[in-house]
Amino acid sequence: MQTPASDSDSHFSILPLASSSSQDQPLAVVYPIRHSLTRPISRIAISWARGNTLHVSLFSHHQHSGDGEEDAGGRVVEVKLSGAGNGGIDNDAQWRRIIYGSVTPFAVFQNRKNSALALTKLPAGALSDVEWWEYAMEYSREINSLLSTAKSTASSTVEDPRTILAVDEGPNSLKAAWELLEIFYADKQSQAWLPERLVDWLADYDGLFSDNQSKVYSKLVDLQKDLVYVQAIEDDPKYWDGLSSALAVGWLEIVVKLLRLHGSYQLDQLGRRETENGLVEAVVVLVSKMPRLRPELPAGRLGECYRNKTDFIKAWETWRARVTKLECSAFWFECGHQQTKEGLRTMLQIMLGNSEHLSARTYNWVELYIAHFLYIRPFTMGLESMYSLAQKCIHLKPLSHHNSLMGLLLGILGENTEVVLAECSKAFGPWMVTHAIELLTAGNDQSENLLREVHDNLGGVSIEELHRLVYAQVLASHQLTWQIAPVYLMSCMKLGMGLLEILLYRQPVHQKQGLLKTLEICRLYELESVSSNIVKIAGVHHWKHGRKGSGIFWLQQAQDEIRLNKIAQKLFDFVGKSISEESFKQWEGLVQLLGSDTRTAGGLEFLHKYRDFKKALQQVGDGKAKDAARRAVESLITLMKSPSTPQRFWLPLLYDSLKLLTWQEGPLLDVMQTNLLLNKLQELSMAKLRPDYVEPDLPPQALSSVRLALARNLGRAILEEQ
Amino acid sequence: MAILQHQTQNNHFQIFRLPQSKYVDAVRWMPPFSAFDKFVVLSFFDSDSSSCTIEIHSLDNSPNIQPILSPLSSFATTSRTSSLKTSQDLIAFSTFSGSLNFISPDYRSGDVSLNSSISVQELGFHVGSISCIDVLGSECVSVGEDGRVNVVNFGGSKVDYRRLFDGNGLVSYTAAKWASPTEFATGGLGFSLQWWDQRRKPGEPALQFKGNWPQKCTSGLVHSIDIHPSRKHTCLAGGSSGTVFAWDLRWPQQPIVLSGIGSDEGQAHLISESEVWEVQFDSHSQSNITTMPSSKLLPVMMCSEDGILSVIEQGAEPMELLAEPCAINSFDIGKQNHSDIICSLEWESLAILSRS
Repeated sequence: MQTPASDSDSHFSILPLASSSSQDQPLAVVYPIRHSLTRPISRIAISWARGNTLHVSLFSHHQHSGDGEEDAGGRVVEVKLSGAGNGGIDNDAQWRRIIYGSVTPFAVFQNRKNSALALTKLPAGALSDVEWWEYAMEYSREINSLLSTAKSTASSTVEDPRTILAVDEGPNSLKAAWELLEIFYADKQSQAWLPERLVDWLADYDGLFSDNQSKVYSKLVDLQKDLVYVQAIEDDPKYWDGLSSALAVGWLEIVVKLLRLHGSYQLDQLGRRETENGLVEAVVVLVSKMPRLRPELPAGRLGECYRNKTDFIKAWETWRARVTKLECSAFWFECGHQQTKEGLRTMLQIMLGNSEHLSARTYNWVELYIAHFLYIRPFTMGLESMYSLAQKCIHLKPLSHHNSLMGLLLGILGENTEVVLAECSKAFGPWMVTHAIELLTAGNDQSENLLREVHDNLGGVSIEELHRLVYAQVLASHQLTWQIAPVYLMSCMKLGMGLLEILLYRQPVHQKQGLLKTLEICRLYELESVSSNIVKIAGVHHWKHGRKGSGIFWLQQAQDEIRLNKIAQKLFDFVGKSISEESFKQWEGLVQLLGSDTRTAGGLEFLHKYRDFKKALQQVGDGKAKDAARRAVESLITLMKSPSTPQRFWLPLLYDSLKLLTWQEGPLLDVMQTNLLLNKLQELSMAKLRPDYVEPDLPPQALSSVRLALARNLGRAILEEQ
Repeated sequence: MAILQHQTQNNHFQIFRLPQSKYVDAVRWMPPFSAFDKFVVLSFFDSDSSSCTIEIHSLDNSPNIQPILSPLSSFATTSRTSSLKTSQDLIAFSTFSGSLNFISPDYRSGDVSLNSSISVQELGFHVGSISCIDVLGSECVSVGEDGRVNVVNFGGSKVDYRRLFDGNGLVSYTAAKWASPTEFATGGLGFSLQWWDQRRKPGEPALQFKGNWPQKCTSGLVHSIDIHPSRKHTCLAGGSSGTVFAWDLRWPQQPIVLSGIGSDEGQAHLISESEVWEVQFDSHSQSNITTMPSSKLLPVMMCSEDGILSVIEQGAEPMELLAEPCAINSFDIGKQNHSDIICSLEWESLAILSRS
């Protein structure tokens, strides 16, 4: 990473230098920075922020110019780096949609795998292979369905005969790559007709092969533009080139559609060009009757399907004989139109598998490879022979650029799991690798061993786990996806749990929603101790920020006696100073929250009793009722008996109750009760000698007036009891 | 885009999911201006640009086709929305930074614009974020974790507020709902509910509810309160641990538990075990409330952190409308047409349900 020197007009740029030497990518991307600092920059600091963003701190020269604070001394600017390897999905939101959508299929598939594993330990209950492939295929299909970016294209009911190719934005390399993996690793039914699957695959994604290179798709797109205004299309060599190219890669529908645009079909010309038209139509028939070694074709696709190899061979031979027969036909001499004659005969040569023509009409090795499957070696079976054929095609049409899809295809054909993973990782990033590994390991023992084997140089984890951890890291770095990371972390046997704990501890606690989300994840994965620690952190955070109620609530949830007791001491200081009728209104809610349960309230149950006492005392003040006074006395005695009542409250409590001690109508406290209070008073005088004694904020004569009142009450009580 | 048809008992409904490219903080129906319009107010958070907007969209949801939401107007805000309420020609929303804003949409020949707004954001209105607001007439009650309860009057062009109560952080409030122009309910920590009556007992709660919960169940927060306009004595609350309960002011210490851990067996069902983010009375199936005995609770709709949207009725099996793999953060039942429900899902999308 280098930053160019600053220039005067407050515009800056960052250009990260990629270390890769691949020629596909431009060497550097420039990220301009606007910082609006007026003074020259003296220092720059760059650090990573969340995800793919950088924090760039810019400091300007420090000057004492005396113009006040209006001129900032620096700025921190966020620079979002666009991630490499996005598989043709440029939009972050679209990526997140894929991320969200893949959680459920991944989790379901993992669950099924785990329960299947548990079953195999039993002697009889192993999951049958068939079921297993169904699960893998279901997983693959669900993921695949997330990857289409096409908006629901409203297909027009009136079909334009001149539209030979539907140009839509739909296909992206990510989907193309996933489908390749699906064809080879998940779909067991396609194993018998892999070449035909590849023909279909190329038909969907040929347009994705490197932009600037020519390919059949781009030739046809060019041709389509011309079709609109060219009248006698058969005079144009591009028409015949396009036709034979499309035929070479097996796009039969396009070939037939194009041939029907031939001028000889027009009514006014039909009479004059009867033979020519007959030849065109003969080729049309041959093309649409081409035998295919596959169980079925989707509606609208041409060719005749043969499930069985022997049937296919028979049909293939008959068809080739008909092609040869047409090739040797005498009608060619009667065909007056030179281009038509040559063009049609080239097409026949392609159908007969003339490798020179095939090579001339295809533009890269994959197209040539497909042409070989269609017209030269339709019986190619087994990855080994498919791989050697691919090697041959690459030899004939070497690659000038690296293309990730081609690389991926080669890796798959070569049964080289490392190459497959490397291509996935390089071109499509951690999401792809993590989810693709599921397919790679499905039923393939060799790659399963490779990916699940523990490597010491990876810190004791397997390749599979490593990639999941990387993906989880990516998820955790974004504020909207972090809560998905646990799903992937939990599938990591070695390090998953530890990293999950770290992730949870790292989440902010100050906002209710975020905190509850974290706690919910703890609940789902039964992480009670983590949850209780986080709740404690939250409690202390709220307490420190003046939300005493929330603080106490969360600490109660965590059953954190130690902190609750500490908090209680602080609260008592507060109560001791400021309790008044008015402020007690505020306390009411807190006291309600505390409840009277000692277990959850810690030392705070005192507040609850204190509130009851104050209430009763208040009623005594308002009215007259002796009942209220009796209740107040009861509260006083419980308070004085309770060990949770702090000593420093004893005197204020007694002082508050002077009215009760000197009750006009007779003593409210009996001898026992009075003695208890007197003992407490005695204890208090002893405590006064201790250094940590806190003098209550009361009038100086308070102690003596309480003592006097108690003595009087004692006297009266003794008299009464006799 | 899945279209799901459900046939449960006599209830038939369709579900549509509409992915958005932004996080949906809150969603409300806007009362329509003509019989054929449907408007939705959405509060978005765009994580790519870290910007927040309040947007009004018109909804075209003819039966059996994918509904189309078309944005009409948007209003940029400075902070994420903590609570959003709508009333006739008014959108009110509070933010995590502690400001309260009112926007009155301007309707002119089919166009809607959101430009005139007034706000309260002065120092001391709330400390920290506002957790919930509710609007009735030209008054808005706002509560926060700071323990303040404010009533804001926004009649005319200016706003002023009076503080009914300041808990000084000793209490925290997390939900609020008007019952009448002078009464409202609030909810907070420990499943507590407060009833405020500004005439009878100004300046402090007139009634406090702290239920005698059966057994030693864990306590939690109240996230949402609803009060039915025709049954003002009953306050419905939803909160932590899948708890949905009603507080009848006439029997103030005994909660009627509809769902949750504290419920007695046989009486209530445990529909969800996580946070219940929103509860609303659901008037869809009950055409005439007046004939129902007042001791029976009206049906209740709730949404939860573990992705459940469900209708609960006292003494009946709960009916699950949605079970999502992600949290359902909020929902709203159509104010005129009770068959329409819109939900905001955690994974940047909306779900629209049409019942018939």
